[in-house]
Amino acid sequence: MVAAASIDAVASTLPNSIPVPVPHFIAKLGCQLSSLLTLLLIHIPGGTQLLTYIKKSIHDDPYRAAVEIGLIVYGILYWLAKPKRTKKSYILNDSKLLLSEREINDLIEDWEPEPLVDASILEEQRWRLQSIPVIDTVTDDTKSLKQPFINISRDDNKEFYKNVLNLTSHNFLQISSLPQVLDVAKQTVENYGVGACGPAGFYGNQDAHYTTEYKLAEFFGTEGAVLYGQDFCVAASVIPAFTKRGDLIVADDQVSLSIQNALQLSRSTIYYFKHNDMESLENLLIELNESEKLEKLPAIPRKFIVTEGLFHNSGDLAPLPQLTRLKNKYKFRLFVDETFSLGVLGKTGRGLSEHFNMDRSSSIDITVGSMATAFGSSGGFVLGDHIMTFHQHIGSNAYCFSASLPAYTVLTLTKVLEIMDQDNSAVNKVQVLSKMLHDFFITDDQLSKFVEVTSDEQSPVLHFRLNQSFRDLIFHYSMDSLFETIIKFQQKNSTTRFIENFENEEKFLQKIVDKALIKHNILISRNTIVMKHESLPCLPSLKICVNANISEKILVDALANIKESILHCCQELVPKN
Amino acid sequence: MTYTSSAATTRVKLIPPKELPVLVQKENEYGSLTSKEFLLETKRLKSKSLGPPIMDTPPYYIVLITYLNYLILIILGHIHDFLGLKFQKEKHTDVIEQDGYAPWFSKFESFYVRRLKKRIDDCFARPTTGVPGRFIECIDRISHNMNDFFTYPGSTTMCLNLSSYNYLGFAQSKGQCTDAALDSIDKYGVQSNGPRTLIGTTDLHVEAERLIATFLGKEDAMIFSQGYGTNANFFNAFLDSKCLVISDELNHTSIRTGVRLSGATVRIFKHNDMTALEKLIREQIVLGQPKTSRPWKKIIICVEGLFSMEGTLCNLPALIELKKKYKCYLYVDEAHSIGAMGPTGRGVCDVFGVDPNEIDILMGTFTKSFGAAGGYIACDKWMIDRFRLDLSTCSYGESTPAPVLAQIISSTRTIMGQLHPGEGAERLQRIAFNSRYLRLGLQRLGFIVYGHPDSPVIPMLLYCPSKMPAFSRMMLQRKIAVVVVAYPATPLIESRVRFCMSASLTKEDIDYLLRHVDEVGDKLFLKVSSGKANVEEDGRPPRWSIEEVLEKTPQDCKYDRFFLD
Repeated sequence: MVAAASIDAVASTLPNSIPVPVPHFIAKLGCQLSSLLTLLLIHIPGGTQLLTYIKKSIHDDPYRAAVEIGLIVYGILYWLAKPKRTKKSYILNDSKLLLSEREINDLIEDWEPEPLVDASILEEQRWRLQSIPVIDTVTDDTKSLKQPFINISRDDNKEFYKNVLNLTSHNFLQISSLPQVLDVAKQTVENYGVGACGPAGFYGNQDAHYTTEYKLAEFFGTEGAVLYGQDFCVAASVIPAFTKRGDLIVADDQVSLSIQNALQLSRSTIYYFKHNDMESLENLLIELNESEKLEKLPAIPRKFIVTEGLFHNSGDLAPLPQLTRLKNKYKFRLFVDETFSLGVLGKTGRGLSEHFNMDRSSSIDITVGSMATAFGSSGGFVLGDHIMTFHQHIGSNAYCFSASLPAYTVLTLTKVLEIMDQDNSAVNKVQVLSKMLHDFFITDDQLSKFVEVTSDEQSPVLHFRLNQSFRDLIFHYSMDSLFETIIKFQQKNSTTRFIENFENEEKFLQKIVDKALIKHNILISRNTIVMKHESLPCLPSLKICVNANISEKILVDALANIKESILHCCQELVPKN
Repeated sequence: MTYTSSAATTRVKLIPPKELPVLVQKENEYGSLTSKEFLLETKRLKSKSLGPPIMDTPPYYIVLITYLNYLILIILGHIHDFLGLKFQKEKHTDVIEQDGYAPWFSKFESFYVRRLKKRIDDCFARPTTGVPGRFIECIDRISHNMNDFFTYPGSTTMCLNLSSYNYLGFAQSKGQCTDAALDSIDKYGVQSNGPRTLIGTTDLHVEAERLIATFLGKEDAMIFSQGYGTNANFFNAFLDSKCLVISDELNHTSIRTGVRLSGATVRIFKHNDMTALEKLIREQIVLGQPKTSRPWKKIIICVEGLFSMEGTLCNLPALIELKKKYKCYLYVDEAHSIGAMGPTGRGVCDVFGVDPNEIDILMGTFTKSFGAAGGYIACDKWMIDRFRLDLSTCSYGESTPAPVLAQIISSTRTIMGQLHPGEGAERLQRIAFNSRYLRLGLQRLGFIVYGHPDSPVIPMLLYCPSKMPAFSRMMLQRKIAVVVVAYPATPLIESRVRFCMSASLTKEDIDYLLRHVDEVGDKLFLKVSSGKANVEEDGRPPRWSIEEVLEKTPQDCKYDRFFLD
């Protein structure tokens, strides 16, 4: 009853003359609809005002009202309509690919995948597997063995060497093998167990971790520090945490693989400057600055200079004073991977900045370090200002999504740093030995015929490689030609890279290692580079690492023997005329 | 260096260990079994393929409230940002360009963290001390200025531990594992000499790898020093841009990072949806690489054994069937399932009774069930040989230190029954019982719980972001440590609390937990299940009283008929 009455009421409010002739039933339907709408609107708060508005609008300008209603209807229809596939997509039943079910099955049947892992060159490279040394502690006389001597076996226990002088360890300072440090480790295991059983965000960070972070920051003079589970992952997690598309990274062209990975994951635009060549860097920075001015970006992009303290592949130093000057001048931030330089450079082992008498917090923005090298524990860390370190707690994948380090590893580090604070004799010792090692190789005329040293005199890792004339003579390639080959492989996207000349040289270097081991009981090593991952210029080299437990006399004797092994192997290769 | 008194208290101090009698200490880390009743031997699923997981859904008004909740938070955040950047520039130096340098992170990127997460920062990263066993000792902290900074009065609170991944209870400071770790420190020291291919390998590494291979039923295995790093630097050893990775949408970030580094193309399928997966595989084999349309070199299906946020199992039998049918390869990340699931603790293969050799590559971590650290890869010997040469972690990263290896070896041997026969089996039966008891208890009380009945990860849905801090704080007041997770780890509206079960908890601990969750659940209005994911009772959603639950569930949880799936 009420509805009927109101229909009439509404009908009377309609404009008497609709300019366009409208059939009767439409007008009636319209009336009924509008009456229902009116009823509905009256009961909604604010509905009456809306109703007045609609009435007024129909009354004043029926054309506009019609357009509006049309738009609303179109909107509703559009919303309800199924989205049409506008992009060309890869769906099997696409009209472009009219394949019948049988054809699809045939295609699937025909597909033959490659093996999961390419084993085609495994036999050619098996010597690499066979030459991995395994430290042996099963033998009875282990107890009587003192660092730096060890027993090793190779090739599944087929070869066995006793009392070998270990010149490969990355534990340069050897402080972590002091009894007072081991006691701390044991006490911690007794109080905390081994694993932390959770990521840092979820109850995994213990007082031990916080304490170590404070201690690290204090020791290196930065505002903050962040701990990571593995040194190799740190750079590849930190750089991507602060970069996105459009940001700029200028990197040294001989950085190690962990940074190469980081650059790949960073999504940024990457430029390389010539290895340790500040002129090349400055030219690049000027060029970038100018092109940035031309582009007129809405916001400044983040800009980084990325380099290493002591280079993983060559052992030379980055010129920090010039880098700092350039980064300040051109408003870049400086990232330095100090995996090898922390703990050994500078008077008290505070790394590259101390070596150049600079303040770490003002000269380097992000420092990446390893607890597994000079400090002799395990894990990695980052040093820098508050904001940067804090952001990693949520922005850095390897920190957020990985379990915290075992408490004993971090408290061991705290103890090591404490000892280093009081006593820098280990650091001094390593520096003296490094210098000795370096001088021996640099001054020797016989050796310089065949090999060249690339590392700095401060580096506890001596890198030496065949000099170019000898390499040309025997292996017929150079760093540039090797890099060209690498680029070719990269363009072809091949996972397996077998470069015969490179492989031959590596084999030859291994021969020198074997000679020193078999004849003189001295363990040195090839620099471990994996060709398939490298995307920057590199060359095979040999490494000799010193540590604080080696006496000068032992080192002198060992060097004479290593020299003999090198000369012996190299002279064999020289064609006799 | 000197600090002012106020600065000193903003730092977490090293808490000296409490002097407790050894027995009490042991009980605190690993509660002894109160009755043989509370053990459960799990049965294999006999290669039975799983149906799609049944996910309960909340009533519409809960969804609406949750969205509203976020809307208000976001609007407030933007107002806060607007006013803050106008009037309080000195407090927002982290997002403002300074002196020609771009900020470390942009305002937009960090909005969620600064304006939403920060409000509840007191629920995350609570510092702890001591062994994360049955109880965890949380260091008390006082929040200031809306979580701007915390101060630490130096006291601690013992909380029931539902937060650590200590599935089998091997986080202990007494017992065979600790003894092994201590011995290894004497013998090998604590350092990890260098990369594995250089000098990082010791006889302990060889022993551990052989043991893990035997434990898993694979030919050979490799051990790495970090679980995240295992995945993140694995895929680039054998994949390139002409390979395809088909990945579950909920896979862990480490897998995604690893695959991204390899350059392989990635296609995602809906979580555990085998029909979608098959369709995707067929499509990809036929269409091949985009643009060139050449066939893929190889296709790898990547899944996790037990998904850590959902508690769901991968549908292994179906995956193996698909992989065989379409000649794909299968990679299973068992980070959470290894050790914790299956009658003998051998992970998902054990749960389904599948031969491990049906899976091409098994990956897992030692952080969780083993109470150690690091990860492993297990597969055929010829592949491992290649990986030893090609994996970047092997040649550039550090090797696993000896004490961690000792913990891995001793805990694995305990699970296998070689050390302290019977102990490993008991741990497995305890976690099986505990997981099912808590899960069924929560379901009967009316909470929405996700996942497989046997899963030791028990996610309970909270939905509203505001209920997360409320739940976490109320539980902390009741001395229970729980983990709350929200976006981006979960879908936006499905904020949840994740209970991680452990063999070190006793049945009475779970009773205590259930009582308090029941009480808090009533206060926070969390009992909203529709009964869809439960066994039908009388057509109504289950809302049992706590007394009823505690009385009947310990018996009932042992029978499959009380669980769906």
